[in-house]
Amino acid sequence: MTEKIQLPPARYEYGGDEFVFVELDQAMSLEANFAGMAVTNALREEAIEGVVDICPSNASYMVQVDPDRLDPRELVEELRRLESTVGTLPDDYVLKTRVVDVPVLFNDPWTHETLMRFRDRHQDPEATDLEYAARINGFDSVQGVIDAMTSAPWIVTMLGFVPGLPFCYQLVPRDRQIQVPKYVRPRTDTPERTFGFGGAFAVVYPVRGAGGYQMFGMAPAPVFDLSQSLPDFADDISFPNANDVLRYRAIDMAEFESTRSEVESGTFRYRIREVEFEPASLLADPDAVNRELLEVLYR
Amino acid sequence: MSELLVRAGGLYTTVQDTGRFGYYHMGMPPSGAMDVYSAVVANMLVGNPDGAGVLEGTYVGPTLEFTDDRVVAVTGADVPVTVNDEPVEPWTAIRVGPGDVLGFAMIRAGCRVYVAVSGGIDVPVYLGSRSTYTLTGIGGHQGRKLVDDETLPLGSGDGSARPGAVVPEELRPELAGPAELRTVIGLCSYRLTEDALASFLGTDWKVTKDADRVGYRLRGGKLDFTDREQPFGAGSDPANVVDLGYPVGSIQVPGGDEPIVLLNDAVTGGGYATIGTVISVDRDRIAQTKTGDVVRFTSVDLDTALAARRDRRERIERVRREIAR
Amino acid sequence: MTTIKAQMPGVFYRRPAPEKPVYVDDGEEISQGQTIALIEVMKTFNEVKADESGTVAEFLVEDGDEVDVGQDIVRLGEV
Repeated sequence: MTEKIQLPPARYEYGGDEFVFVELDQAMSLEANFAGMAVTNALREEAIEGVVDICPSNASYMVQVDPDRLDPRELVEELRRLESTVGTLPDDYVLKTRVVDVPVLFNDPWTHETLMRFRDRHQDPEATDLEYAARINGFDSVQGVIDAMTSAPWIVTMLGFVPGLPFCYQLVPRDRQIQVPKYVRPRTDTPERTFGFGGAFAVVYPVRGAGGYQMFGMAPAPVFDLSQSLPDFADDISFPNANDVLRYRAIDMAEFESTRSEVESGTFRYRIREVEFEPASLLADPDAVNRELLEVLYR
Repeated sequence: MSELLVRAGGLYTTVQDTGRFGYYHMGMPPSGAMDVYSAVVANMLVGNPDGAGVLEGTYVGPTLEFTDDRVVAVTGADVPVTVNDEPVEPWTAIRVGPGDVLGFAMIRAGCRVYVAVSGGIDVPVYLGSRSTYTLTGIGGHQGRKLVDDETLPLGSGDGSARPGAVVPEELRPELAGPAELRTVIGLCSYRLTEDALASFLGTDWKVTKDADRVGYRLRGGKLDFTDREQPFGAGSDPANVVDLGYPVGSIQVPGGDEPIVLLNDAVTGGGYATIGTVISVDRDRIAQTKTGDVVRFTSVDLDTALAARRDRRERIERVRREIAR
Repeated sequence: MTTIKAQMPGVFYRRPAPEKPVYVDDGEEISQGQTIALIEVMKTFNEVKADESGTVAEFLVEDGDEVDVGQDIVRLGEV
């Protein structure tokens, strides 16, 4: 069992007159992310006039405010109040969210072709990104690191960098987190829907573009759809929300292709289940809670 | 169908309004007019709602031909404006008719011009705004800057425009440099040494060639980070922090030598330490600085930032009264 | 003195690419609308076109120099 991480007192900072930035910890941890999630969820439910947007991030969060309608100092008072109640994650605090199955084809030909073009920007030009990640994380094989990434689910801790990009942190203790540095120099190209990895975060690139994360595979289903043609995108152009629990599931080329054709014909739907769990329980016994989360997902 | 003919798109002209809000949490910045004051005042002059669609031109303005009777106003940068090659006054509501051509000469000061037309630039509203966000190609006119020889849809005005209305000199923005940018220091400013923070505030920073709607990259000094063992998940570079949200107007110093002020089309978050935020009112000011201009940062508290915002609103209301006279 | 002025600020280049020859040499005749240089600003390279015909008497800016709006970049001589 790993020690529970004690968070320092939250730091409240004004990002000019239109933003309040709250740092829960300088280091990434599930504890910091859950604390931020509890406060931002509570704030969202209060629907305070003058709160323009609520932006959870990894070990911090940010609130955009219209200072003509809400004094940022009053907002900070309310945030402090929420911190002292839900932000301490009482044992009975329950998180309502959804758990989602996200298929990924690891070692796919498209990211492989791209990563080969950018070997000169990589720490280990002789290996693929997955081989490198397996080696520096102490796995005997590429399969070992894939198994580690797919066995326990992840939580969406932040959206951003580009619209719709989910940062995902695995629901395991810090000593089991996989860590991989970003490319030495960023690439000028990353295929759309690349499953990438940087620091301790897994991402799916919403669109093609520059990028510095290691490339491990490709998701057949989109996370971002400007045309909103798929049913899962009817309400929003971005599929993932902060707090979503995502299970990355390794698939083969046959499933990749059948999922692609469902996406192209507009019939694809993510497997989604509503779920509740106690962050305190997860921190105490992650394997047990993760088992339950996956049971709910595939029931 | 009433339309505006774009004879020449200019260097980088986009449709903007006062911005797209409520999507920051998913990584979409607000876009919108960089110099809000000038955009709102341009709309007032032609009788539009404050948040109607306007054109924002950069350095080289567009050339526009009208196809019906309209009222047009140009605000923002100091630039000679012409109708059919005859000089006309900026910050003034001007009556134009079919075949009239609005043009710009070379800017004398400032960076961005705003063109409001009675009825507004009536591109489709996308996610609550007409603003263009070119990086993802959404909003505005086909999600991109204007090109030569195309047309823009115009809305129908409500006839409230008052041709001849003028914004008095004292209510036009000061464009002479250097630009003083009032800044609330904070966020992750603890990452800088005390000397570096003093040097940040004491340096005359020069706007580089890469300054655009995404952000302004500046040059002129070197800022040191304090030594520390990097926290878990922060990455190895001393400029790195665990990825976090970036306020619009926030300042980061990726390599320690080139501060970047993030603006309307910027990324919403990332892994660089932010050291402060330019107050919302002074984003209007930085929007009117151009490559080669000098900017300085002054440390202010939240009270000053809020007071500056109230002042701007009062100025806007004074303009409204002047125009209505 | 007739000059061609920079219409925008940025970094001035006399060649389309580092390994390419200059657009025009001193003493060369140019015609209105001809591209004579590039200015890089806002992450794009923008062609500088001659606003009138003439002979290039001299370039007043070096390749790679920063220029400001309205700055003279070329002095034109008699045709």
